[in-house]
Amino acid sequence: MAHEFWPLAIFLFTLFLLLGSGVWIGLALLGVAFVGMELFTTRPVGDAMMTTIWRSSSSWSLTALPLFIWMGEILYRTRLSEDMFRGLSPWMARLPGGLLHTNVVGCTVFAAVSGSSAATLTTVGKMSIPELLRRNYPEHMVIGTLAGAATLGLMIPPSLTLIVYGVTINESITKLFIAGILPGLVLAIFFMGYIALYSRFSKTYRPSAEPAMSLGQKLANSRFLIPVLLLILLVIGSMYLGFATATEAASFGVLGAMALAGFQRSLTWTSLKESLMGATRTSAMIALILAGASFLSLSMGFTGLPRALAEWIGSLGLSRFELLMALLVFYIVIGCFLDGISSVVLTIAVVEPMIRQAGIDIIWFGIFIVVVVEMAQITPPIGFNLFVLQGMTRHEMNFIARAAFPMFLIMVVMVFVLIAFPELATWLPANMRQTPG
Amino acid sequence: ETWDMPMAYPATNYHSENGTAFASCVRDATQGAIDIVVHAGGSLFAGNDIKRAVQTGQAPIGERLLSAHANENPLFGVDSIPFLATSFDDSDKLWAAAKDAVAAALDEQNLVYVYSVPWPPQGFYFKKEVNSVADMAGVKFRAYNAATARIAELAGMVPVQIEAAELSQALATGVAESFISSGSTGVDSKVWESLTHFYDVQAWLPRNTIFVNKDSFNALDDAGKAALMDCGAKAGAAGEARAKELTDQYLKTLAENGMTVGGPSDELKAGLQGFGATMTEEWLASAGDAGRAAIAAYRGN
Amino acid sequence: MVEQDRGAGILRGLLDRIYAAASVVAALCLVGILIVIVVQMCARWFSFTFPGSAEYAGYLMAAASFLAFASALNAGSHIRVGLALTALGRHRFWGELWCLVIASAASGYLAWYAVRLVYWSWKLKDISQGQDATPLWIVQVPMAFGACLLAVAFADNLIALLLTGRDNIREELADQSHAE
Ligand code: NA
Ligand code: NA
Repeated sequence: MAHEFWPLAIFLFTLFLLLGSGVWIGLALLGVAFVGMELFTTRPVGDAMMTTIWRSSSSWSLTALPLFIWMGEILYRTRLSEDMFRGLSPWMARLPGGLLHTNVVGCTVFAAVSGSSAATLTTVGKMSIPELLRRNYPEHMVIGTLAGAATLGLMIPPSLTLIVYGVTINESITKLFIAGILPGLVLAIFFMGYIALYSRFSKTYRPSAEPAMSLGQKLANSRFLIPVLLLILLVIGSMYLGFATATEAASFGVLGAMALAGFQRSLTWTSLKESLMGATRTSAMIALILAGASFLSLSMGFTGLPRALAEWIGSLGLSRFELLMALLVFYIVIGCFLDGISSVVLTIAVVEPMIRQAGIDIIWFGIFIVVVVEMAQITPPIGFNLFVLQGMTRHEMNFIARAAFPMFLIMVVMVFVLIAFPELATWLPANMRQTPG
Repeated sequence: ETWDMPMAYPATNYHSENGTAFASCVRDATQGAIDIVVHAGGSLFAGNDIKRAVQTGQAPIGERLLSAHANENPLFGVDSIPFLATSFDDSDKLWAAAKDAVAAALDEQNLVYVYSVPWPPQGFYFKKEVNSVADMAGVKFRAYNAATARIAELAGMVPVQIEAAELSQALATGVAESFISSGSTGVDSKVWESLTHFYDVQAWLPRNTIFVNKDSFNALDDAGKAALMDCGAKAGAAGEARAKELTDQYLKTLAENGMTVGGPSDELKAGLQGFGATMTEEWLASAGDAGRAAIAAYRGN
Repeated sequence: MVEQDRGAGILRGLLDRIYAAASVVAALCLVGILIVIVVQMCARWFSFTFPGSAEYAGYLMAAASFLAFASALNAGSHIRVGLALTALGRHRFWGELWCLVIASAASGYLAWYAVRLVYWSWKLKDISQGQDATPLWIVQVPMAFGACLLAVAFADNLIALLLTGRDNIREELADQSHAE
């Protein structure tokens, strides 16, 4: 490893210099990747960069993201999100922690629609942040729980990460999807438990009281939930009934949101235009970062650093538990610098034989990987949910990262729960029916 | 010198394992002068980009399912004309007849042909019993390129465009009910979770081809060039032997998991051969003299 | 002097109009994605074919992203880590200068190679591997144009900062969810 120390040091120095000094994130990643490739290979850097950037920016599976963002923009600019909270608040206000739970519940439900964490985050956040802040929920809790819960988009099926893992490792994607359900729900419960505990023991947790209502009033108010429930049913239904693929379901979301808002007469021509322009800007922001990240991932592939690190872990001769701990630390560290899918793709060729040799269940390990990849979404300096939240709230990165840190710890706990109770991930896939019909 | 070699399929796939063996063969033969580092699973460049990357020197060597580039030059798709060469032996004959023409086409694109390895034969996956072409009518069939779309058209199936990543889910939810691929795809994606029948019609045997950037190749000394070509010849033979071995295993695995696996009925076979004749004519019309010569040589044998 | 100011004013207006026009085209591309996907689903339901739909959606995706880069920059949508800049206080100018110099260089590099990508796609006659069989240089032009526009926008901001001490980036408050 020693001969790789200097290049590695220069690489990290450039990363922290560019990101830390305030260079726009997509371009900072581009710069770091450029330095890495210039240091490690003799290949034509600029052309290789464009090959990768064109591939990632023109990818079909990416199209779901701007559509879901657009759907969120429509909901945010019309009465739909307000109505949803009006319908939910009488029921959830009594839970310890109150309406903050809508962040977790919303993300869990939306995770069943979307395969990505960024789409989950923008859609739910666009609706919940303004409503929760208006009700005086502490901002760091609003942002933190949202950052954490949105990562459920990766665990609860459909999941892009699990598809990539399944394809790379030749495992059943259906099985992996089913394996993700229980751990996803458990993680959601952990998040809600944290909210409940925090609200009990914090002295500053004083959201505005919701007006007291009789059961009849509550039920009457629930009618406000109907439009959003219809929309969720439409999107999930389109997918599970076979009308649409996971990518296509996003278009149902946009059209459904337009139709509902039009029906409620809360959609004006101006708000429709604003929602479209807002979605265009937000997806351009994410696309620039994705472009930089795809080049960084190529550069990492050429440098061979992630692979060398994984090989080094493999050479240590660890026991099964030690190996899992080493991989946990390994993925947390590279997760600070790479997005989840890249870290899986770049390392799995080396990690897979280690896992099989140690006799670790390969489906279970897929869920393990997803939890650590979820962590990577909220760890600085490169954490996608942090970026998206910064775009939405204009708060500084360190504020958001600190707000999300408890969720990171909860995910670490989740890893140990998975190790202690592997059945969480393995029971459902082992007992699902093997053949259709 | 380190040569990064992008490959598209997972590290455990036999094409990738074979590529790794090829890399160590070259390393040994050149005493480490050419150190080929395999990047499997599209971890360096995605499958779609590998040819262009090697063409332009972004990577010195790479592997690609060449028939994916048939839009550029129909010759690249000679291995994938449906129902023309329907066994390993026929596929070898066809490749022997067409190889020089394909290598010349690659040469025009700044690429040097090294070796190629076939996939197991392509068969139909269905959700029901199919005994004739008529039984296929109305079935939602995954069409992923011009040739598969044409098959759907000829058979009266409903072509549905599904990307590889979404195939499993599309089958599970009924967005697609049928597709054509090798036994390995069925095993890798555990297709028995959604479908019931596999018909080993051996429609064609697509090939993965390894090529080198011409400038990188010309910069090698004679010993280096010879090592590359010798190891390539060995890897081509070893890869094909492995493909044959695996074909039977894949079919067995499909059957063991409850799928009905078997050859096509005579009626189905006759119908498919009719499609083959049509599509071969269509291909010949587009492929020019080199293509006609290759098919004539193949048929002459 | 007056002549020069008027010239600068016209240039300013022209650039801003180009950024805005590109972002409108980007938004239309987003609508295009929606239309392509809906037609693709209809194709499946009603048994007609729409060859290459996934590819078209992908091209529109790239165009939608790149054409919006420049206007998203001036609307303050592209995010950055602002800690160091804030800490600089009244010396913030130098921090902004450093960032704009780096960003101009990086976006210039991106633009240069994006144009080269188009040139080589044209030169090599590279065509799509999908059923659309589109010559790639055509669908890569919007990306290259967007990349060039982003480079121009950064250079524009750099010059504005040097001449007036302030760049053209104005965060749109309407975008902020907490701007109650
Ligand atoms: Na999901
Ligand atoms: Na991270």
